[in-house]
Amino acid sequence: MQLVLEFLALPFVQDVLKILFILLLFAMPLGTFMTLMERKWSAAVQDRIGPNRANIGSYRGRGLLHIAADALKSIFKEDLIPKGADKFLYTIAPFFSFMSAVAVFAIIPIAGPIGDFKFQVTDVEPGLLFIFAITSLGVYGAVLAGASSNSKFALFGGTRASAQMISYEVFLGLSLMGLFMVYGSTQVSAIVEGQGEHWFGLIPKWGVFTQPLGFVVFFTALIAETKRAPFDAPEGESEIVAGYFVEYSGMRWSSFMLAEYIAIVGVAALITTLFFGGYQVPWLYHWESAPQWLVTLLQFGKFASFTFIFCWFQIQIRWTVPKFRFDQTMALGWKKLLPVALLNTVVTAIIIVALA
Amino acid sequence: MNASELTTISAEELKPVHLPGAIIPAPPEDSDTSIMRIEIGPAHPAMHGIVRLTTYLDGEQIVGMVPEIGYLHRGFEKESENSKWIQVIPYTDRLNYVSPVLNNIGYSMAVEKLFGVEIPRRAQFARVIMGEISRITDHLTCLAACAMEVGGFTFFLWFIKAREYLYELLEQVTGGRVTINWTRFGGNSTDFPDGFLKEVEVRLEKVREVIEEGDQLVTRNKIFIDRMKNIGVLSKEKAISYGFTGPLLRACGVPYDIRRADPHLVYDELDFEIPIGEVGDSYDRFLVRMEEMRQSISIIEQAIDKIPYGPVMTRERYLGYPDKKEVYGSIEGLIDHFKMVMEGHHPPAGEVYQPIEGGNGELGFYLVSDGSGDPVKCRVRPPCFNYVQAMPELALGHYVADIIAIFGSINMIGGELDR
Amino acid sequence: MKFKVKKVDRSEGLKEALYIPGIAVGLKHTMRHFFRNIVGKKDVVTIQYPEEERPVSQRWRGRHRLTRRDDGFLKCVACYMCETVCPAKCIHIEAGEHPDFSVEKYPVRFDIDELRCVFCGLCVEACPKQAIRMDTGVIGMAYHSRESFNFTRDLLRDAYTPNEKTKYTDADLPKPPDQQSALPNSRGIPAP
Repeated sequence: MQLVLEFLALPFVQDVLKILFILLLFAMPLGTFMTLMERKWSAAVQDRIGPNRANIGSYRGRGLLHIAADALKSIFKEDLIPKGADKFLYTIAPFFSFMSAVAVFAIIPIAGPIGDFKFQVTDVEPGLLFIFAITSLGVYGAVLAGASSNSKFALFGGTRASAQMISYEVFLGLSLMGLFMVYGSTQVSAIVEGQGEHWFGLIPKWGVFTQPLGFVVFFTALIAETKRAPFDAPEGESEIVAGYFVEYSGMRWSSFMLAEYIAIVGVAALITTLFFGGYQVPWLYHWESAPQWLVTLLQFGKFASFTFIFCWFQIQIRWTVPKFRFDQTMALGWKKLLPVALLNTVVTAIIIVALA
Repeated sequence: MNASELTTISAEELKPVHLPGAIIPAPPEDSDTSIMRIEIGPAHPAMHGIVRLTTYLDGEQIVGMVPEIGYLHRGFEKESENSKWIQVIPYTDRLNYVSPVLNNIGYSMAVEKLFGVEIPRRAQFARVIMGEISRITDHLTCLAACAMEVGGFTFFLWFIKAREYLYELLEQVTGGRVTINWTRFGGNSTDFPDGFLKEVEVRLEKVREVIEEGDQLVTRNKIFIDRMKNIGVLSKEKAISYGFTGPLLRACGVPYDIRRADPHLVYDELDFEIPIGEVGDSYDRFLVRMEEMRQSISIIEQAIDKIPYGPVMTRERYLGYPDKKEVYGSIEGLIDHFKMVMEGHHPPAGEVYQPIEGGNGELGFYLVSDGSGDPVKCRVRPPCFNYVQAMPELALGHYVADIIAIFGSINMIGGELDR
Repeated sequence: MKFKVKKVDRSEGLKEALYIPGIAVGLKHTMRHFFRNIVGKKDVVTIQYPEEERPVSQRWRGRHRLTRRDDGFLKCVACYMCETVCPAKCIHIEAGEHPDFSVEKYPVRFDIDELRCVFCGLCVEACPKQAIRMDTGVIGMAYHSRESFNFTRDLLRDAYTPNEKTKYTDADLPKPPDQQSALPNSRGIPAP
């Protein structure tokens, strides 16, 4: 018993356990769940019933089995490599997409720290700058897939994706400048810590209240970064069929799709962490005698539920709005979001100086 | 072959071909740029019929296009020549398969013109009501598909839901949702069932709700406006010279509507407005169709108020079957019936052209009869034939993503285009 | 004639230029549908097809049937009217002479190739005896082979429960001639 506890106390083991918990028990299942929920929820929006046919015997589980059916199908489907494609690049492209989607969770705290122990895989000093670095890696997935597929439609998708993702990095960074100024750090744990305070003991000092404009720009940029509707011109299913992954099949195609859905969860988690107080449960400080385990549980519950709500919100947005044309996406970014983000930075700076 | 080789095409391939409306770019002079050719269609999600648009691109910009049609050619006109007059009616259902009633009406009216008969008033009103329901289904389908392709999938399914309400109405009268085979020469095969007109009003109210909901969801959304506005602009003069009719010509600002220009049936007794656009872009076409549906609803409501009682089929023995009572009860009735079935209709020799305002524009039937039982010639003027011909002109200079916004707004129906 | 013209409204205001109001209005509608359908499937219009079927109207043209007289024999007198009027040329009739003089003629064979049939209903209109009808309400016909779509007389005729007027039963219906000697089928392919 003693040995086990000592083993668990090793920092390396703890890191592995955290990775396992956050990725395998939270992000991946939620992402996988989203693949079904996107279909179910879009069905609800569109007055349909949605998928409910996958079954074992007579058990259907209201469509839950579709997750298993999809996975089985894509595993057993032939993994085609088109003639003339660059085999190596074609093969590795999905991993870039997948990796960058998953790596976001490395810096997200899912509950408040207990003593020295943090519910966060790594609390790196640069914090959010790490996110920008990681998400820009994702562009390789799209570009390599588009360029190596030997298909004109895929090439279009790849070109669009690279231009869009690289551009939106800029606004992603700029929109958070105000947040960094308000909470005085780029470290995620510090930002979340800062959001635990309250104004007049009533309104939580969440990012969405201190930085409303920054929130809008960040949310928009993040959706564009993950190539979700209304910014899905790189996929453009109506004109360039499926964009950069048009030639993919089987599990490689699935990993693109899974990457997209994990990115949804990633976006939701980031929004929760940065703008909705992360794990901070508002007004909990009134209850001082709360046991630690309950507080942690409440914190995780709050974080998870907000993440879930934002996952839903993204899907709801997707089924509401039409999509931008590719050049309009770029125009929106450079002509509208950039000035707004800059304005937000300047105004925030002025207010901070004035208040100080 | 790698991707860079793929994107270049030789000057050989850019040689002009003799296809109507085709625009083929000159090969670039400097070797730094090249023109990319992509085949949009025949199997492509945005080509809702089967049509191929060979598109030449400079970057993402369209510099040339060759529309190629005929993938859904079924030989309607030849098949009609080998049928009896009445046997052509089921074929017309399959021309524009989203507004089959209007095709039925158009063909039947052409044959009636050949006979020179007037159909009973109730049948005329019934044709107006059913035809306008059919026009709404046509517009619903077109707008739904158009909005779906620029990303409004929810809009698509809501409109298809509304269309289903109307298809069920058609089914109550005709016995089929799409393949209705409803009109006959000299009237309609069936009258409305009991309580049908009440049902129409109830369902039209539901459809109106869906239209307004969709209007708010999409039409006033800036993203959608950006996608549609100033895309695929065609001037009045160009549109007329291309032979545009219907909603597309009206979107260019020409108030040409055959229901007013050449009033058929009882349209001159009904009050409605002709919606026209200003610029003639995809957005105008969208709005014109949207408004036309509202006008159609009002036309149906007026027609319901005015519809008289009476027969829906002429009593002329050379046009329709005798009443079933006579067939079962009297020898004359039976003989007439027998002769009608076995020998068919014998319109007098001559030729006619009868245009009607179809869902998509001027739907004309040009018929030639030599007095025998078979049509000598049965030519259809499909409205969307001209539209597809103008496709390169509409798309030139726009981006590849605009093809779908333009193509969605011209509402090409494969069955009617290729016949 | 004077006609009224209405110009469509394509104006754009500040509300549109800001993007968000337009999206918010859209979200209002989609969310209403979403919550109504998540809570109790209130607006759902789709049906679970093989389990539940759409109620079809009384005039729905479905699979054909051959009706019977009161005495149990087929109403059809093999007059060839439906075969003549059929635009798809999918009906094939072979007439035979019935030993009973009150019946005279009856169809020895009455085949409908349901794959060719366009369900236009002209045969029903043409029939002087109300012998052929399309009011079975059968929507879907799906079989594994093409031959299964060739509906013969015995498949098409109504089920019949004998009553006091019954003179004929199914056993009395003269059998169709040997299929070997039958006419070529509707696609012009001779029967095997």
